[in-house]
Amino acid sequence: MTQITLLVDTEYCTGCHSCEVACKAENNLPGGYNWINVLQVGPRKIGGKLKTDYIPVRCRHCAQPPCLDSCPVKAISKESDGRVVINQDICIGCMNCVEACPFGAVAFDPGTGLASICDLGKEGPVAAGQEPACVRACPSKCIYFGEINEIAGIIREKAARRIAGY
Amino acid sequence: MKMTNKKLSMENQAINEMLCRAEDINAEPYQSPTDPEVTIHRTVCTISHCACGILAHMKDGRLIKVEGDPDFPQNEGAMCPKGLSMVPATYHPDRIIYPMKQMGERGSDNWQRISWDEALDTICGKIQEALDKDGPLSIAYSFCDGFRGNELAGFGIMKAIGSPNVCGTDAHYCFRPQANADMTTFGDGNFITSEKCQGGPEFENSKVIMTWGANPFECHMTRGKELIKSLKEGGKLIVVDPRFTNLAAKADIWLQPRPSTDGALAMGMVNYAIENNLYDREFVEKYCSGFNELKERAREYPLKKVSEITWVPEELIKQATIMWMTTKPGSMTTRMGMNMHTNAMQSLRATNCLLALSGNIDIRGGNVLAIPIDDRPYVPFFKMEAQSRLDTETMAKAPGVKERPMYYGKNAQIYARSHPPAYHDMLLTGKPHKIRVYICVNDPVGAMQDTKKIRNAIKNVPFVVKSDLWMSPTSRYADIVLPAANQFERDEVHTEFYTGYIRAVAKVKEPEGECKDEKWIFLNIAKRLGLDMPYPMDSVREFHNHILEDTGLDFEKAKKKLLIPVPYRYKKYEQPGYKFPTKSGKIELYSNRFEEFGYDPLPFYEEIKPEASEKKLANYPLVLISGARTGLFYHSYGRQLEWLRELFPWPTIEIHPETAKKYGIAAGDWVYVETPQRSGRVKLKADVTYGIDPRVVHCRAHWWYPERKNDPERGLTDSNINAVLSHNPPYDPISGSTIVRGGKCKITRVPDEEVGEEFKKWR
Repeated sequence: MTQITLLVDTEYCTGCHSCEVACKAENNLPGGYNWINVLQVGPRKIGGKLKTDYIPVRCRHCAQPPCLDSCPVKAISKESDGRVVINQDICIGCMNCVEACPFGAVAFDPGTGLASICDLGKEGPVAAGQEPACVRACPSKCIYFGEINEIAGIIREKAARRIAGY
Repeated sequence: MKMTNKKLSMENQAINEMLCRAEDINAEPYQSPTDPEVTIHRTVCTISHCACGILAHMKDGRLIKVEGDPDFPQNEGAMCPKGLSMVPATYHPDRIIYPMKQMGERGSDNWQRISWDEALDTICGKIQEALDKDGPLSIAYSFCDGFRGNELAGFGIMKAIGSPNVCGTDAHYCFRPQANADMTTFGDGNFITSEKCQGGPEFENSKVIMTWGANPFECHMTRGKELIKSLKEGGKLIVVDPRFTNLAAKADIWLQPRPSTDGALAMGMVNYAIENNLYDREFVEKYCSGFNELKERAREYPLKKVSEITWVPEELIKQATIMWMTTKPGSMTTRMGMNMHTNAMQSLRATNCLLALSGNIDIRGGNVLAIPIDDRPYVPFFKMEAQSRLDTETMAKAPGVKERPMYYGKNAQIYARSHPPAYHDMLLTGKPHKIRVYICVNDPVGAMQDTKKIRNAIKNVPFVVKSDLWMSPTSRYADIVLPAANQFERDEVHTEFYTGYIRAVAKVKEPEGECKDEKWIFLNIAKRLGLDMPYPMDSVREFHNHILEDTGLDFEKAKKKLLIPVPYRYKKYEQPGYKFPTKSGKIELYSNRFEEFGYDPLPFYEEIKPEASEKKLANYPLVLISGARTGLFYHSYGRQLEWLRELFPWPTIEIHPETAKKYGIAAGDWVYVETPQRSGRVKLKADVTYGIDPRVVHCRAHWWYPERKNDPERGLTDSNINAVLSHNPPYDPISGSTIVRGGKCKITRVPDEEVGEEFKKWR
């Protein structure tokens, strides 16, 4: 099974919100929801020091997607490249998937009354040989797109350098 | 031009190569690879100083998408939320797209559309009438930035009129104190800690970065991007900031000083570095003057005393000094956190010394000096800024120049032409000059302190003309508002000033409605009045060709290039005969320039000057800092853009949990803030956070509520902390900086019944 997805090296996320607005501009999303949401956790005290994390929450395109199981009309599918897709023609807007997603990453569009999620740029930039808009716009270049085991190599490399005392 | 290219490549520096590579890219529009009906234009974002390269997607004459230009060296495809929101900003229903005249009282929000002819006739009639009655000194002009053709056009018209009343209304803080201190220490043209202009901090190659009152992640995305590159390569980061910002969250060492005490902290570090022999002795001996005097002065700042002043633990000061002094290369940036109080200039001189002692000057990954102006093939900004200056005697008549002759007027090393508080006083009181016509292209009401006073000052001027994209807070008090073309709707030449390269871009789309390029507006005013402009300005094209003149390209040729680079090289001081452009020819730890003007030539710290009597201050127990930026807005810009506003819907006040508890405030409560500087109070939403000291609060600034269509002032003074801050003394003696950060305030919880419906919903 292949699994394309986004991977974020949160060590370098600054919470700048560029990915959120880039996604919005690329997909022409209305106000009210985003497909990727950067949440700030902290500042909190850890071992006498402050720490703040910035976590971009978005559809993980799970291997076992709870949203898929929750959909009463089978509007959600798992594609051969690993993407989770909501078919807008079948969706009835019951919001079961919104509730089922452990990340709160399924958006409900009040305009169309339908559910939608990150499409990994499939229709737009990726079809044109580009990376998704969030990846391109990120000033920290800390969002990676591709096959999960390949892009995880970037994190492995970082870990190796750290272990080696780079 | 060819010769220049050769010169650049011979120097064989990575940055020159990168610039040359970019220069060779064809910047002409091209067809989208995915949609043959879409044309992609390479252009530039003008919202902030970053001047990122962008790709504007056009279909059937309509802008449909913007994204970062991956080939542009500054941003490499990255884009901030402001830039990414430019499609909705261009077509926003709140944009002004016709000339408008205010009927009835100014500020009544009663507008009538007029023709361009009527607008220009009225404006020119009023200017002529003022000139006839009271002469050129009765005309005033203000702006904010100053590096594009637009601003140069404004300078030009004031020169032609013969009025010195020109004001960048942020001149007393913003980056000019840094620029002045830097140039005092390192020599003319070398504003190397503030901006990355023709040099500056080269983060991406640094092994240690130290920031003072700065946050490039929010304020300067391209610099933030470079900083992250350093961190990814294992670079260390030292952040000096009273707030635990997103930058501080990435730091190896975070120093949290009491606001306004940076000068003491820096002198403590200087002293520790000298006492423990941590500084770069060889560099200092060769290239710095006044070391012994500095050493003597620094002795007054032992760690224990500095720690008491600054609240920073001694151990952390030691660690930070060791890390900064012993890791090479390192770069430093200082920003507005250091400027907005009465200790601005001497604090900055102290950080300058800290930088010089580290030896991180003009090396790869350090703070790079500018190429001397005489060695640069073209300097359009500096050349035209000089062309737009009036004679010394007339320039000295601008408000505040006499009181601060080193910083403003003819001695200003960086186009600071009037002291903003004195300038706004002039609009209000008619002293030293009675102003009859005020021409404004920025937003002092929305963006400066003393909101109500500036509003009243502008209302007091008999005739006010404003060009704008939106009906901004300042526009609401104008007689005539002119619709400005935005960055897609006009040709523009960006000078080298902030970026280190020149860029010419052609317009991408026709203006909305009857919007016009501000340069067109100025040149038409000049034509109607028969003014003799200091540079050729018969048409916008001719003006652009003049800006580009020395590059050997005209606009038509220049627009085909992604950029026109200015050369860049390291260790200029190693060349035979090189002298730092200071009086001594060296880096001046002891400043001859300060001495000449009667200021202390050595940096020192003193307690911030009190903004009120001791008795009055006793009622204001908390230290107030304000105006930290978010990358979502630019000063007063952006509150009407839904994509941005939904990410930051309300102005916030950051309060430590202990302090919040003491005042009975919970997260999300509305809080009244009062200061001894101005009467009245403003209302902000509590952000209860460990990221601030319990003795300090921080308020976001520049807030107004464009959605309140029934309120003629759009909530101007409801939540903007600037409405309770003043332009009154005390000032920094050199720059005239006012107390925006480091003054005092008190807070109370807003009772639920006083919150008001308009503070519950913005959408």
